[in-house]
Parts: sequence; structure tokens; C-alpha cells
Amino acid sequence: MMVRKEAIIKNKTGLHARPAARFVQLTKKYQSELKIICDDREVNAKSIMGVLSIGAVKGKKIILVADGKDEKEAVAEMVQFIEDELSAIDQDNLAKE
Amino acid sequence: MLNIFQRNRVIILKAPLTGEVIRLRDVPDQAFSQKMIGDGIAIKPTNPYLVSPVKGEIIKVFPSNHALGIKTGEGLEILLHLGIDSVELKGKGFEALIKEGQRVKPGERLVKIDWDLIDGEIASTISPIVITNMEMVGGIKLLTDGSVQSGDDLLAVTIDLPRDNFDKLKD
Repeated sequence: MMVRKEAIIKNKTGLHARPAARFVQLTKKYQSELKIICDDREVNAKSIMGVLSIGAVKGKKIILVADGKDEKEAVAEMVQFIEDELSAIDQDNLAKE
Repeated sequence: MLNIFQRNRVIILKAPLTGEVIRLRDVPDQAFSQKMIGDGIAIKPTNPYLVSPVKGEIIKVFPSNHALGIKTGEGLEILLHLGIDSVELKGKGFEALIKEGQRVKPGERLVKIDWDLIDGEIASTISPIVITNMEMVGGIKLLTDGSVQSGDDLLAVTIDLPRDNFDKLKD
């Protein structure tokens, strides 16, 4: 089985730099194979190089895919991160400026 | 025990840009200064060409050409990131001279950058050079200080290799 779900990037920075590093910290704890599909690119969601390189900027639709033992939990947490926590990181950055 | 199965190897990274050497902790982006993406060094560039620091394969060219990834034969992955917050330029000022999947030699030109066009539109022109798969790295040593010329020895990266790989690569 495989689980896949769409999410929209809503924050200003997108899935870049600091948000991307946080995202990879989260994905690395799962055993399942995790992928992100954006436009025509498909990358390993556990690789910082992969996640940075998709260019997931604000407004982009991405597809999160998981295949393995903990695939449901993995997709749920990735979607939650993209839809909720990304904007929180932006807020955090603004507060520091 | 591990020494029976592993060998060390040192990979020299050549400076991919000419300019002032900047410690990662002084890079004005937390993702780099706190080493969230990986460890390495940065250069504040004064020349318009990014060149390859190693012999390897271009594994990623970012859609807006402001960054790329290179993988060496040993498996070391290096991110070359041109400027800070340069993703927001959406490609303006950056011309990629290579494609994904291409093999490159140290010193080969990778990206042409019009710094004058974009300076002032980005947070900084400081360009980080970081190893993104630090799990295979035993240590990184800076080989220079102050300023570098593109192609000078910049970093010595010690990696641990599984014996199989080592035997394949040692010639």
C-alpha cells in the first residue's frame, strides 16, 4: 500500500532553508519511504538536498507520498507540518526581525 | 572494530568562488549559521562564475538556478547556495551552464551570476558551501583564511568509507 496526499504551501518563505531543515528532521524518524512531488520533480523527503531543490514556494501544490510500515502517520504529520507549522515558522522569523 | 570495515579518505574541496572566506556562524540565515542544512564554509564573492569544487555529478539544479547539488564518487553531497534569500529572485541574475546528471571536473564553470543586478535585492551575496550528508563525514578542516581565489584548496573533508567502496575507489 501507499499513501499520498496533497498540500498547498501557504507561508512566505515556502519549503526553503530553515523550514526545509525542520521538515527533514521530522521525516527522518519514519521508516517508510517518503517522497515529495512538485511540478514534474520527485524527491526523497528525508534528504535536505532533495527538499530544498524542488523550489516549493508560496502557492505551490505538492504531493506527499509514503510507502511502508508507518506511512499513514508519516503523511499525516507531513501534511500537518506544511499546512500549519510552516506559517508558525514565518511568524517566529518576523518576531526576531 | 569499525576500522576493519571502514577506511578514511580525505576529499579536498576547491574554492568555487573568488572572495572573502566567511564562517558559517556569520552567515545571515539561521538555516546555515546553525548548521541545520549541514556543515561547511561560505564565501562573499567578487567574481561572476561559480565553479565546481570537486569531481562529481550534478545531482540537483534548483528551479531558479540559485543553488545546486554535487555528489562525488565517494557519495559526499555538497550544496552550493548562491546568496541568501536568493530563492525570491526566481532565477533573475543566475544562468546555469550545466544540467542535472552532468559530470563535472574541479574548476569547471557551473553558474554565471550577475551580482551587480541582484545585489541590494537579496539579504546578502554571501554564498554557503555545505555538506548535506554529514553522517558520512568524520571531520572538516578549513585550508585557508581571509580570501580565496576560485580553484584554491578550501576544505579538507575526511569521510568514512565502507570497505567495498574503498576498494573500488582506491586506484
